[in-house]
Amino acid sequence: MASPFLTPSSSSQLDQLALLHLRRDQTIPTILRLHDDGNLGYKEGNVTNTRYGSFPHSTLFEQPWGSQIKASKVDTGSRGRPKKRKAVELESPSGTAGDDDADSSKPTHSKAVAASSGFLHILCPTPELWTSSLPHRTQVVYTPDYSYVLHRLGVRPGSTIIEAGAGSGSFTHASARAVFNGYPSPSTDSTTSPTRRRRRYGKVCSFEFHAQRAGKVREELVEHGLDSLVHVTHRDVYRDGFLLNDPEAQTPTTSPKANAVFLDLPAPWLALKHLVRNPPSSTESPLDPSTAVHICTFSPCMEQVQRTISALRQHSWLHISMVELQHKRIEVKREKTGLEYEGVRSANVFPRNVEDALQKMRVVEERSVRFRESLGQDEGAQSDNENSNTNAQNNLDDADLPTFTPSNTNEGIPPHAQGRLVHRSEPDLKTHTSYLVFAVLPREWNDEDERKCVEKWPSQNVADSLPQPKGKSRKQLKREAQAQELAEKDTKAEMKTEVKAEE
Amino acid sequence: MFSSIRANQFVVLRLPSETTKIVQIVPNTLINCGKFGSFPANQIIGRPFYLTFEILENSGDSQSTHLRIVPATELHAESLITEGEGDDDVEVNEEGLPLRTNREIVDDASTQKLTLEEIEALKRNSTAAGKDIIAKILESHSAIDQKTAFSLAKYTLRKQKKYMKRFTVFPMDVSALINYMLENRESANKSMELRDELMGLLGSWGNVHYGGDATLQQTLSKPNGRYLVVDETGGLVLAAVAERMGLLHPEEGSDNEEENGGLDQQSLAVDGNADDETTKPAQRTQRPAQMSATGNTVTLIHANKQANASLLKYFGYDQNNPDESHPLFTHLKTISWLQLLDPEADPIYAEEPAIIPEADLAALKTNKRGAYHRKRNRWSRVQSVVNEVRAGGYDGLVVATLMYPESVLQHTVPLLAGSAPVVIYSPTIEPLTEITDLYSTARKTAYINRKRELEEQKQPGEADGQTDEFPELAAEFSVNPTLLLAPTLETVRVRPWQVLPGRTHPMMSGRGGAEGYIFHAIRVLPTSGFIQAAGNPSRKRRKVALAQSNATPTDTTSADVEMKL
Repeated sequence: MASPFLTPSSSSQLDQLALLHLRRDQTIPTILRLHDDGNLGYKEGNVTNTRYGSFPHSTLFEQPWGSQIKASKVDTGSRGRPKKRKAVELESPSGTAGDDDADSSKPTHSKAVAASSGFLHILCPTPELWTSSLPHRTQVVYTPDYSYVLHRLGVRPGSTIIEAGAGSGSFTHASARAVFNGYPSPSTDSTTSPTRRRRRYGKVCSFEFHAQRAGKVREELVEHGLDSLVHVTHRDVYRDGFLLNDPEAQTPTTSPKANAVFLDLPAPWLALKHLVRNPPSSTESPLDPSTAVHICTFSPCMEQVQRTISALRQHSWLHISMVELQHKRIEVKREKTGLEYEGVRSANVFPRNVEDALQKMRVVEERSVRFRESLGQDEGAQSDNENSNTNAQNNLDDADLPTFTPSNTNEGIPPHAQGRLVHRSEPDLKTHTSYLVFAVLPREWNDEDERKCVEKWPSQNVADSLPQPKGKSRKQLKREAQAQELAEKDTKAEMKTEVKAEE
Repeated sequence: MFSSIRANQFVVLRLPSETTKIVQIVPNTLINCGKFGSFPANQIIGRPFYLTFEILENSGDSQSTHLRIVPATELHAESLITEGEGDDDVEVNEEGLPLRTNREIVDDASTQKLTLEEIEALKRNSTAAGKDIIAKILESHSAIDQKTAFSLAKYTLRKQKKYMKRFTVFPMDVSALINYMLENRESANKSMELRDELMGLLGSWGNVHYGGDATLQQTLSKPNGRYLVVDETGGLVLAAVAERMGLLHPEEGSDNEEENGGLDQQSLAVDGNADDETTKPAQRTQRPAQMSATGNTVTLIHANKQANASLLKYFGYDQNNPDESHPLFTHLKTISWLQLLDPEADPIYAEEPAIIPEADLAALKTNKRGAYHRKRNRWSRVQSVVNEVRAGGYDGLVVATLMYPESVLQHTVPLLAGSAPVVIYSPTIEPLTEITDLYSTARKTAYINRKRELEEQKQPGEADGQTDEFPELAAEFSVNPTLLLAPTLETVRVRPWQVLPGRTHPMMSGRGGAEGYIFHAIRVLPTSGFIQAAGNPSRKRRKVALAQSNATPTDTTSADVEMKL
């Protein structure tokens, strides 16, 4: 089955995953089915209820991805007590819909009737949308982290990556997308037609020591059509390593031949002893012997990092580096300030500038002077009349009173373009996710390999008047070399000052 | 993925000074690392990546140069030793005070007893790649025993950077190229100061991935994995997109199994797969034409007559003289804005070269005939690319542009299929806040209301006006705000740490400059059903329904509206 994540068709399909986008960060993953398995008794068949209305699945499938779908009138009230009443937040009038006929016994579902309000967008699944909507089982590796990890691990179409703990499956989906270079056909594994002999299909080998979580991830991957790319193994990797289970043998023997490793484990250093080129117990190495292997560990605490790095050094991993990722989302809005925004939501009703403030104060002063004057006049005329106040007010309503008109700079500008465009960080920041430790284990290289290489490429062969590489003139090369040298000098100078500053 | 260093490949050398250098490994040449020495290229061809080599030579005899692979234990020696000693970095006396501090150290040149001339002489005569120089220098540093472990480590490191004749070979990939471009100011400007972590995010939000090869495409309902790219970084973003699609590195490419180029042959031989040699006869029969792939393609829209993707040369794809065996040859398509928006104004597209009958063609001179075929091919290539792009239905849009992004989106968003992601990188935030504002909820509502207004006006005059294009609307709204869902602005920065036994802290200094931001959103298809919704009981009720279906349920608060759209 083609996965809607990787090779989607142009419209939503039955029995496939679709994401129902209600609003930012609120997406409901749904497998589209006409008949509801829970038998909740909707006349329209399977229905997804949201706070923005009810959506029978009959209105959702075979829609072009990205379509805006209107909510339908669904009778949620008269179908017997549903178990999950809480999830149903509906407008009240739908209960009295006119099409409440006696055809509920029919096996065919009645046609959905468009409601007067409410909609959603039906989106094609991507690892990003899945990550933001997935059912949480453990701490989730979010988009900024996994995108950087996969990029730095050099995971590309055709790679094989080991992932331990599968957790909630967020990283699993992202890495399945990264390694995808075709669906391996189950019947013929590596021995297909001769032209395909060099083709190596990318795969993800996912290990999870929690049986239930492993089962859940496996289930999801089947539903998402990714089961041919991801091998989920229920395993304690600290103890049992990373070899894949073999249907025939009792112990796992097949090497995944991984090019990259991602360890989201509480104690990654305990798993490192299995990730070596020559395991002591004469079992196969889980690593790809023909390439370098990149590793990344994901740990929230500094103590874990220190132990991991120490273990990496002992196992001869190179180019060890540790980073943390600081990610934030930014809100953009229009900030409106001015006295004319009386009654406008989220605007500052405040003078726009000093001139406005001055004018406003002048007007207020003037008005109060007039008010007092009129009071004085009234007092003089009819000393203790009860109506004096109303009279005074009446007088003040006169058109000759000064009124304040804010300096109008918004003339002709529609409301959505008024105000100053400002941005700020989102209110809740994830200030720390985890520390990322990266390292590389180069290919093995021995004297024999070296000897062969020397034979093929005689070491001291240096042609004196060598032909320049194509596409580059001598002059160009020279210029580049100079630029390089300059750059080097620059950075060196910088480094010197840095070192000094540090001391 | 890269198994070994191949001849004629570009690689990245990291020198002890922490600077990097891009070199092409041409066989039988000398590779020069500046003051860190030089070595014959043949001595690293075929060897694995990520190893550190030490240049050893007898002084004065360049023929004796040979390389030694520095083992990992040696590279980690210092940390391993400190770790072995335990974590008591700070030696204390019986009162619990640190035994060695930098209180007594006087910073002047007099502590170093070797003179400059002596060091120079040492450098000339040394053979052991600078290690003995460092040892001598350390030896003759009069205050060395006063140094704390911390400062001693730093001192050794500094001297190492200066005198060690070492280098490390890294494969050329997008990550390495990005970091290389950031190293000096000039090239950083060229690459719009795009950092590695932002590139990763760009690819993820753009949902850029392999879209299937020819055989897989057949089983799909439409050609898959077609991406539009607007890239003014000289090809860096394009390279990243191609890398994610499996198009950048020929040896690991997904579509090159039937294309056994010379490079493959070499790497095979190195790998020891000698049995491949038999199936190698030149099979240059029918190569697919340039830009001819239907799926898993990148289409670059460029603002000048020629696309600038010069950085692709580091990946073996020279734009001016493209290698036919490179996956990008068929999968990279280029189109100029002129060709996209006003194709008839583009002479290559509009003027079809006259067809010369076969008989006449045979009579022509070879070079004339060649020129004729070239022109015909170019015309049909441009025709097919331009028509394909104008037909739209793309799976994603990735933008890193110097232009106003608004105008880019105006013309490209309509070319996307529903649910296709849009991502824009900008070194500064202002262009992106403007874009975010253009797709704000308030603007969406205003757009929908205005559109309905115009439709109401129009209907009496021309009842069957099927076009929902309103010039007034386009004048007021440069982009249609209802086409993008969940516009989001974000940024990410990597903070590197130093992790050494007892001396773990974030790096003291880093790169400033542009912060770098990413805008992303999803192309959606707003419902247009209400236009055709004839036979509604009353006009008035329909109007109400329109307003609601496009804005929000009336009973929700306006706070919900803002977040919902």
